[in-house]
Amino acid sequence: MASYDSDDEVDYATDPAWAHITPLPQDDGENPLAQIAYHPDYVVAMSYLRGVMAINYHSAQVLKLTADIIGMNAAHYTVWGYRFKTLMALEASNGFNDEETSWSWRKELDWVQSIAKQYEKNYQIWHHRQLIINHLNDATGERERTNEMFASDSKNYHVWTYRQWLVKRFNLFDKEELDTMELLLKEDVRNNSAWNHRYFITLGRLGTDSPADGVINREIELAKVAISSAPQNPSPWNYLKAVLRKGNIGLASLKDFCEQFAPIDSEDEIKSSHALDILSEIYDETGNLGKAEQALVLLAAKYDPVRKNYWRYRKRLLGSNENVPTASEKTPIVHATA
Amino acid sequence: MSISSPVAFTNNPDELFVKKHVKYIQSLDTRKDEFEYWLTEHLRLNGVYWGLTALHLLNDPTALPRDETINFVKSCQHPSGGFGAHPDHDAHLLYTLSAIQILAMVDALDAVDTAATVTYVAGLQKPSGVFAGDEWGEEDTRFVYTGLQTLKILDRLDAVDVEKAVGFVLACQNYDGGFGVVPGAESHSGQIFTCLGVLSLTNSLDRLSTASRDQLAGWLAQRQLPNGGLNGRPEKLEDVCYSWWVLSSLAMLGKLHWIDQNKLVGWILSCQDEVRGGFADRKGNAVDVFHTVFALCGLSLVGWGGLKEVDPVYCMPVETTKRLFGSK
Repeated sequence: MASYDSDDEVDYATDPAWAHITPLPQDDGENPLAQIAYHPDYVVAMSYLRGVMAINYHSAQVLKLTADIIGMNAAHYTVWGYRFKTLMALEASNGFNDEETSWSWRKELDWVQSIAKQYEKNYQIWHHRQLIINHLNDATGERERTNEMFASDSKNYHVWTYRQWLVKRFNLFDKEELDTMELLLKEDVRNNSAWNHRYFITLGRLGTDSPADGVINREIELAKVAISSAPQNPSPWNYLKAVLRKGNIGLASLKDFCEQFAPIDSEDEIKSSHALDILSEIYDETGNLGKAEQALVLLAAKYDPVRKNYWRYRKRLLGSNENVPTASEKTPIVHATA
Repeated sequence: MSISSPVAFTNNPDELFVKKHVKYIQSLDTRKDEFEYWLTEHLRLNGVYWGLTALHLLNDPTALPRDETINFVKSCQHPSGGFGAHPDHDAHLLYTLSAIQILAMVDALDAVDTAATVTYVAGLQKPSGVFAGDEWGEEDTRFVYTGLQTLKILDRLDAVDVEKAVGFVLACQNYDGGFGVVPGAESHSGQIFTCLGVLSLTNSLDRLSTASRDQLAGWLAQRQLPNGGLNGRPEKLEDVCYSWWVLSSLAMLGKLHWIDQNKLVGWILSCQDEVRGGFADRKGNAVDVFHTVFALCGLSLVGWGGLKEVDPVYCMPVETTKRLFGSK
């Protein structure tokens, strides 16, 4: 009897459960560019997969076979695709209820999570998970699963993309989501992914609608506290500027706040190039061109010399009516993808 | 994941070891008994594209056998018109673009059924304007770029709704000026390259305001770290591949000079293996063909002597894009 626990080893060539599948070795043709000498276990498993695919065979055995191959090579996208087809076929034929196999979507999701933890950089895993959750139309426990992933890498792009999909698909713009972002930012205030997601759930989803009362001020305060703890961290500065734009509040309102981190006449006390950057805009807007220039000269010479050409460009824009590079008027449109 | 011998990183970051890089790329195809070779099978067609592009930039375009290259690409085409990473793998846009780019570089587009390819690509555009990567429907700005570039090379942009594709890309711009995989997703230098690529190859860059382009270029320039290297997102580590994603984006915006190019060049050169050739993601790690091509593309963009010029929009030699599209 075949076992479907992924830890059990199957010898495909001798196991009677596999006798009805004819393994198909890879045909490399006459093409030297593609000849590959594989690891033997992989060769055997792949030839059985080709055999299975050739007759479009879907059974719980295929789950074991594809799990074996994914365990050796998680990025093999064709294997993931075939596995999903098999899962759908099993569900349709009531195959999940076979006592011998007793597979379930829940088991599949647990298995996927264990693979995700092994292969953090992998794309296919998260798309597979998305296909399943979309099919089940049930996000129960899914945020917890992504939180587990954030515990080992809180900036994992694939996991964040999946998390945003979940929020959009199941309309999870709620307090739990907000609290999770606050927690992640408490753990690491430099986590730009969490800042981006916070914007997405607070303001980004609104399109052209106005935010609810108090949201703008709450977010301004949150960003200011974060900046005070790490004034050279770019993420909350970008966030703060975005919140002001959304609330139609002028940059000048930040003058005192920025001067705390970049007192322009006491050079030794300057702690933030980002504060200096915003101050140059504020001084420019309010007609104090001398100070604006002073800030940009300091940036080019001392606080951010790697980008001195950028700061020189900004200096040339001073006093003109040209826009300083801060405004992105567009807000991302949130597409509900059901 | 490499099990190959340790890398001998150069102590001479003023020199590009051209001959060794050519040899390294040629050697990739002879390593078939190594465990990691089959682990990258799902990238094989990309790998051929990366290697071939590198060889073109190194001014040694015939170092891979042309006929075998064409035959391999042909063997990866599916009846649907799309290409898989390898003859046994499903078709996907990522490999379809690589296939078409390879054929474009060796001037052999007539070797495959390109009409079927156009049908395949056009079939993957969704009502929102985005492209799915394959039949499974994953959506990503990368696929908008790969789909549109494929069609542009085949001179069949008319086969899809370009305006909707551009609209989708514009909806992906974030408050910091950058772009992500889908609307709302975090800005990432790799995605910025694909989004600016879409806007460039459809002549739509002016759909971003001057202020917005400047904000984006400022964000990109911020990717340079004090050691000269570039990262992909704030507070992340530098990596050689961003020498391409960030630099090509700055080049499309006309702001390459906003970073310190000398520092970057020194940093890129410090990531090469001076004994066996190839570049690593950063000094101390194993070399691979992906980081090798993007290191060379970066060096080419800042005008490193002896390298052929690379086109920042298409990631192919300018010689190829001139032949395809005429001079710009």
